[in-house]
Amino acid sequence: MASSKQGLSSALRGVSRTLSGKQWQPLEQQFQSLRLSPSLAQGVRCMSTEPTEPAFTDSLPPISAAEIDTKSLSKRLRLAEHARALPVSPSYFSRTPSFNDRYLALEKLMKSYGNLPVVPAADAERVAWKTLSDLRLSIGEPVKATDYVKCLAVVKRLHQIHPELKPTAIDHALGDFKREVQAFLNTPNPIPIDKLGRALGVGRRKTSTARAFVVEGEGKVLVNGKSLADYFGRVHDRESAVWALHAAGRLDKYNVWARVEGGGTTGQAEALTLAIAKALLAHEPALKPALRRAGTVTRDPRRVERKKHGKVKARKAPAWVKR
Amino acid sequence: MSAPNCLRCLVRPSTAIPLAIPRQASPLVAPFAPFSTTTATAAKKEVKGHVRGGKKLVLGKFKKNKVESRVRPPGPGERKAYRKRITLSNDNAIQVPWLTDMGPGSLLDTANVAKVLALPEEVQDQLRASEAFKTTQSWKMFRKPSVLVRTETVDLMNRIQGAVEKRQTLRVAITGDKVAGKSMMLLQAMSHAYLNNWIVIHVPEAHELTTACTDYAPIPGTEPPQYTQPTYALKLIHAIKKANEKILAKTYTVSAHPELPQNIPANTPLLAIANAAKEADGAWAVFHALWNELTAQGANRPPILLSLDGLAHVMKTSDYRAPGFDRIHAHDLSLVRLFAEALGGGVQFPNGGAVLGATSRSNTPRAPSMELALAQREAEQRHADPAEVPQKDAFFRGYDERVEAVLRSVQVLRLGGVSKLEARAVMEYWAASGMLRAAVDEKTVTEKWALGSGVLGEMERASLLTMRI
Repeated sequence: MASSKQGLSSALRGVSRTLSGKQWQPLEQQFQSLRLSPSLAQGVRCMSTEPTEPAFTDSLPPISAAEIDTKSLSKRLRLAEHARALPVSPSYFSRTPSFNDRYLALEKLMKSYGNLPVVPAADAERVAWKTLSDLRLSIGEPVKATDYVKCLAVVKRLHQIHPELKPTAIDHALGDFKREVQAFLNTPNPIPIDKLGRALGVGRRKTSTARAFVVEGEGKVLVNGKSLADYFGRVHDRESAVWALHAAGRLDKYNVWARVEGGGTTGQAEALTLAIAKALLAHEPALKPALRRAGTVTRDPRRVERKKHGKVKARKAPAWVKR
Repeated sequence: MSAPNCLRCLVRPSTAIPLAIPRQASPLVAPFAPFSTTTATAAKKEVKGHVRGGKKLVLGKFKKNKVESRVRPPGPGERKAYRKRITLSNDNAIQVPWLTDMGPGSLLDTANVAKVLALPEEVQDQLRASEAFKTTQSWKMFRKPSVLVRTETVDLMNRIQGAVEKRQTLRVAITGDKVAGKSMMLLQAMSHAYLNNWIVIHVPEAHELTTACTDYAPIPGTEPPQYTQPTYALKLIHAIKKANEKILAKTYTVSAHPELPQNIPANTPLLAIANAAKEADGAWAVFHALWNELTAQGANRPPILLSLDGLAHVMKTSDYRAPGFDRIHAHDLSLVRLFAEALGGGVQFPNGGAVLGATSRSNTPRAPSMELALAQREAEQRHADPAEVPQKDAFFRGYDERVEAVLRSVQVLRLGGVSKLEARAVMEYWAASGMLRAAVDEKTVTEKWALGSGVLGEMERASLLTMRI
């Protein structure tokens, strides 16, 4: 058994001379991880690891070959005398074979489809690509940052190809570079405008929650049943509450009826900012860039920092005492 | 036998000097004797107890010696005078070219709505004498004191004028939001009165009458007992005299007043009565006489405007105490009583006039009866459904019948936000004075109007008093 195995491995390597046991043992292990091409069985002299189909269609990752039953094999077939083993991947002996395979596949695609018309980058579907660390984790290889950058440039270029002309092969190839969770697919539900012309926006800040009904009008604001000046004693808070309307120049075009709960005055005022901005966007979606520049679209995620043990507050250290 | 102590030493012998009897039995061997030959007393001398080495704790090491201030400390009353000072002009403000002075009929004319009118010099003096200007109002920002004529102003002045023409007394309680212009409405009414040569009696701060900050004395022979406030009465007489000097000089008494410190025969100018008040002692008698003369029926008297700011303070129990240490009701204070009677409709002015009381929203006590009464009158004025007229809370004890009686038939004027047209007028005035450094257009006006909810004081805060650099 052992002698036949040894004979086979030397035959596979195309070496006529029998190797001593110590020399062939690790190589034997190496071959176990290689996949034998079916052409081997047909007595092809060179065992190419090149798959017959293009690499990108082969979705299965390379798996190690099962142990070869040499006895039955020698019975059925006449094995090639001088078969030379070639790895499936040409980049098998590089440090990052699977990454390189993908990169090469992409470059091949680029060569074939690079001339297809593209859409401007802003009009292409928004995709969250894997970051370098994500890619390293998913492939399990120490991908170099420079290689990653180069590869991603190709990815983005391929992604820009006009969607109606884009071959499915490209979509398959780019699939490996997309993040598992695509945040851009999460689109908020559009805020409806009800039959009375009201749009309801909800905003939060610190621990405050505000609901604002925005309706076309002449600039009246009611917060929890009080006028703006009655509800917010501080002028700054009043300004921040209606900042969205102010920044869009729509203060005299809409009326606001709002309910605010929780938190303090600043939190409530800034929760109102967000609520009014969202409701205003329901009326006029085109205002979004202007409102974003005014800083009223994004929720401020800052909260009170938790207290830590050994500290008086979150950061404040207790007074220094000499022993 | 000698005494155990020296006779001159007054220390108690029992405590101070332990003489013969030691507290403990003396040890046989001296404790710290370095040598066996050293006597115990000598050894004791050597040891002084614990010797402290190194640093000692020094308290107040870093306290520096106080630097003697070379600035003269403010004199008594100087700080208060500075606080209460009223500045009516600002030389740095630009003169507004199109500003016109208020005339006798200006506030009656609907064409003047949403216009800013300046107060004439003479009226300024009169208003200052009757303390109509307040430190919280921003007169000091502009070249000349000016007021915005609102729709409510013209409406109220026309009602007052109509009442005067019919020789009736209009009784109005002015109420409304914080800094909505209630005191300013009183000021406008007073300017109208001064311009038309009426007599004006104004109580600038009602709380001065009821928070027990001025002296009081019972009036003998009154049941229930009433109290005068002589010092305040004197101050009020001086203010009336200074503000209404011209008219008082032209108005003559109908009866003699022998009870006054200075004998006043009939047909003397009323100014003489006012001048009779030199000291607080007789001030109330003088004021009473003056009031009787002003309200003497059938005599030729100018119309009278009686106004008071801070209505809630006089519509509750005052902080004064009766001899039995009971609280005195504000309506038992003679000056307040006089105003309350007039507001309740108990006094008919011979040639008509008006009684105005303005509520205040700052530093004001709760007066549940007043609030309820004003809400009820307001609902009645609206001709609201009887079910919507607010009613007394059956489980609340704090209502006051005397207050309800006074406010049973007053009219209520509620002040709120101004219209955008009026807001624009006042903002144009600010801009022309150089105080508002923005183009006054639809956008700015709407912004400030919305930020202040249309309330003039809030608009002022948002655009003039908030520093923007």
